[in-house]
Amino acid sequence: MRKRPGIGAIHKQRVEQERFRGKATELQDNVFEQMANQMEKFRTNLENFASKHRNEIKKNPTFRKQFQEMCASIGVDPLASSKGFWSELLGVGDFYYEIAVQVIEVCMATSQRNGGLITLGELRQKLIKARGKAQHHQNISNDDIIRAIKKLKVLGSGFSIISLKETQDSSDVLIRSIPGELNADHTEVLKIAEAQAFTTIETLKCKLKWDDVRCQQILNELIRDGVAWVDGQSTTKTYWFPSFFKPLINEG
Amino acid sequence: MEFSWPWEYDFPPFFTLQPNLDTQKKQLEAWRKLVIDYCRHNKIFVLDVQESMPLFQNKTIDRQLSSEGIKRVLEILQENQQIEWCDKSKKQCFVYWKTPQEWGNLIYRYIIDKGMTNTVCTFYELTEGDDVKNEEFAGLDKSILLKALETLEASNKAEVIMFGGSEGVKFF
Repeated sequence: MRKRPGIGAIHKQRVEQERFRGKATELQDNVFEQMANQMEKFRTNLENFASKHRNEIKKNPTFRKQFQEMCASIGVDPLASSKGFWSELLGVGDFYYEIAVQVIEVCMATSQRNGGLITLGELRQKLIKARGKAQHHQNISNDDIIRAIKKLKVLGSGFSIISLKETQDSSDVLIRSIPGELNADHTEVLKIAEAQAFTTIETLKCKLKWDDVRCQQILNELIRDGVAWVDGQSTTKTYWFPSFFKPLINEG
Repeated sequence: MEFSWPWEYDFPPFFTLQPNLDTQKKQLEAWRKLVIDYCRHNKIFVLDVQESMPLFQNKTIDRQLSSEGIKRVLEILQENQQIEWCDKSKKQCFVYWKTPQEWGNLIYRYIIDKGMTNTVCTFYELTEGDDVKNEEFAGLDKSILLKALETLEASNKAEVIMFGGSEGVKFF
């Protein structure tokens, strides 16, 4: 007859399990330690790299973006604080801080006209104009601006980024500098109005398959927000958006 | 030099009184500025409301401000003391892109610079003479000139007189 496992056997089993677990933990610790060493090595290499290519990072937007992505992949955020190794090494913290301040200035200067809604293209145009003539001042990309604005968002400043399309093209991204998020319906209307800077209820009904009431309501909300103006002298009422109006964008 | 119209002038809704009151405020403010800038550029001292249509319409985009809109714009200008009705009929108004006080000071400074205190000038000399051709106050409307001189009289810098059948002014 087979002996049924006695207390002793169970105890032994348990001890063996413990040993396995311990081994696993030990293994885990080892791996972890190795990983930590690797990370440290990687981090050091990254820092050396950053140091060596500091100028390139400052001058070249594409390079800068790739560098950012590389940092993000190992969980390092060069913009995390304006103090600390990274910002001192690269002055990177200051670079984005500077852009963020200028973004606020441009938005404040233009919000009277466009209701606090500006295209990324116009924003970049005005930023470049406002910054110095020095080469590195000129080379700020859409990506740089978006990163700077994202930092502003973290501070809860009422900035929001609205994508009209999947791309990051200048005219397909809008920056809202007044609190009060525009919802999905508002964004749909903006997408349609963007091309000619105006739209009508007929157009909205046709393209979005909405009914009259919904179209009118959303348009009214955009008017209430100061983002849309009414033209009562067209054959059917037209709704215009200064944010997309070229003569305004190209002015000063 | 060609007058440079502001971006609003080519913006069709600019000619429709806006339903959103905040937006309307911005709109009226932009109109106020446009009227003043336009008058300053073209040296318009008196605005005839009827004839001012070119200012309140843009043929290129086929839009014009309604009479209600024009009325609101003129109200804003009056509140800012930048226009003064010529009479009760409110058909014409003086446009003060410079106030009578500012005109007075400008003229007085010119007089000082030319060492012309304690002399007498006719109104004609002051606004139409060859000497003042390049001065800002050249061509100044007579009624406004009078108002300007009255502000100088109030501070004892001038005295309006009649001599030899013409209106003139002595500066002190």
